[in-house]
Amino acid sequence: MNYRQFVLSQSIIFMASSMIFPFYVLLLRNIGDSYSQFGWAYGLFALTSALAYPVIGKWADQFGDRALLLFYSLAMSVILLLFPLVTSVWQVYVLQIVMGILGAVQKNTEKAALTRRTDKKQAGADMGRYHFWTSIAAAGAIIVTGYLVDFLTIATIFYVASLLYAVSGFIMWQKKKSIL
Amino acid sequence: MKAGLFICVYGVLFAASFYTYNQFYSNPTVEDAGRLLPAQVKEIAQADGEETLKEIVKQANRTGSRLTIAGMQHSQGGQTYYPGAVMIDMKPFNQVIDFQPEKKVITVQSGATWDDIQKHVNPYGLAVKVMQSQNIFTIGGSLSVNVHGRDIRHESLIDTVQSFRLLKPDGTIIRVSRTENADLFPYVIGGYGLFGIILDVTLSLTDDELYQKNTKEFDYSEYSDYFQKEVKENPAVKMHLARLSVAPSSFLREMYVTDYVTVEDQQLLKDYETLKKERIVALPKFFLGLSRYSGWGKDAFWDIQKQYMLEDNGSYESRNNVMRSETDFMAYESGTKTEVLQEYFLPVNEFADYIDDLRRVLEKEDEFNLLNITIRYVEKSDQAVLSYAKEDMFALVLLINQGRSEEEVKKSKAVIRKMIDVTLDHQGSYYLPYYSYPSKEQLETAYPRIDEFFRKKQQFDPDLRFTNHFYEEYNE
Repeated sequence: MNYRQFVLSQSIIFMASSMIFPFYVLLLRNIGDSYSQFGWAYGLFALTSALAYPVIGKWADQFGDRALLLFYSLAMSVILLLFPLVTSVWQVYVLQIVMGILGAVQKNTEKAALTRRTDKKQAGADMGRYHFWTSIAAAGAIIVTGYLVDFLTIATIFYVASLLYAVSGFIMWQKKKSIL
Repeated sequence: MKAGLFICVYGVLFAASFYTYNQFYSNPTVEDAGRLLPAQVKEIAQADGEETLKEIVKQANRTGSRLTIAGMQHSQGGQTYYPGAVMIDMKPFNQVIDFQPEKKVITVQSGATWDDIQKHVNPYGLAVKVMQSQNIFTIGGSLSVNVHGRDIRHESLIDTVQSFRLLKPDGTIIRVSRTENADLFPYVIGGYGLFGIILDVTLSLTDDELYQKNTKEFDYSEYSDYFQKEVKENPAVKMHLARLSVAPSSFLREMYVTDYVTVEDQQLLKDYETLKKERIVALPKFFLGLSRYSGWGKDAFWDIQKQYMLEDNGSYESRNNVMRSETDFMAYESGTKTEVLQEYFLPVNEFADYIDDLRRVLEKEDEFNLLNITIRYVEKSDQAVLSYAKEDMFALVLLINQGRSEEEVKKSKAVIRKMIDVTLDHQGSYYLPYYSYPSKEQLETAYPRIDEFFRKKQQFDPDLRFTNHFYEEYNE
């Protein structure tokens, strides 16, 4: 995995995740309808992430960042296929728990990979560039998604996001000379 | 290699998810009481408030969605939905907004049912002027089909409406009455939901009264005369209902009528004013069931029904209770068959000749399973553009059991078109909330102002934001 690959795949992941998260609430609104259910859905997500971090940290050092990021992308692409089929709140909770674990994989490994690469002297500038590209992708995705949901259905965004995750996985899968 | 495997697995999962979603989740399938037009709609939107309704219309204008409006969905020709359109379920929008007993006026949201109104006004000794014989329907739905009922003194529903508020296709709200935006009044009432969403309605009420049931047996040839002399000319008779035999042994000949006559001593009302509940319906349900399957069953059902009504002669019932008659026994569940309604209007003095002609048509149709005919009366009411009572008319409601297959629908269509031709030959008309059996020519004969109606719709709603099966079928 080279740095270009890494930034490109992470940008696509950001794009996909920013498609889902703001609009995910719409799905919850169709299924559940109380604020406490929102609270639980996101609380479970954060809680499972928290519990997963220490383990995942060790795995990253053991299996390598690429393997974990690849696993994350592919797993997300599959999990998202379940979202359009959700009909009750408990299913949302289960998905949130799985997404919590996967989210932790992504966050932790992304940071680890960046740290491993970054030259300490210009870490600030590097991070700035990295965040610029990933955030641009995210911003574009959020705006476009709004239209997608309006004109199509909420299910469309899950399918599109799933495809994006799959693409990001394939970008990482390609063997390129590693500089990470 | 591994990547190829993943692509395969992912491809299969993606296809499976997408297929399942499209098949079962994406577009809810709806149908109305006719059960002949199942359709996949884009979405069912709950009308849980005025703001929600405004938002639904606004959003539809942004996204280009079409809208349809549904109450209890007892219309039978898809008047409440259309494939791919958003169906607005008005049932949650059912509050009583204002009630002034001393002025005999009530304002309700259009998703409220007649039962909601009856429960609200009965303690004040008030009653609805015009509604269907059953009380399960929403006010908005009833207005959109401009109903009539057993009452013979208050014309159609439109005559009891003082005003209503309309959420227009552009998302703004106006008040419509005979003085305010008056040009819309006769279009929206009897407008089949094509002009926007009726939000709330102000109706005038009348006093609850005690009636005595006066039931007699007749030959059909004597009915017109009896009605003109004994019913219409007698101001004490407030409601009227008749039933014509569909039993083979007395087919379209025997009938019985029930007049509801104001009782002189209205002090007695307090003993009868409690609203009745739906009773145990096993027995009529059983006999109706028998009559579905055989001529013998129809004979038995007719005899028992008639005997029951004649024995009930002389009993008392409050106006509110007359207007909440049983419906549960008619509930019918069958995979392959359904029960559809037809309603024909014809001038009072045409009755006997008309029935003779109708009998001639139906006697040749052995397979046509006609289960019931009830007759009521509507005074001339030409306020609505799609008005069915061009003069004082009898209204015959026919209940027909038929298959749901394409072929069965075709067979029914052939017979029903013949019946409508007979009706039109006698200067009659037919009621629009049912399945689209009638031809466009029949529609134009029965409703000479139909083109004007469609033109106004297109002018008022140029983007065709609101639609339904009826509009799409007949507007061309």
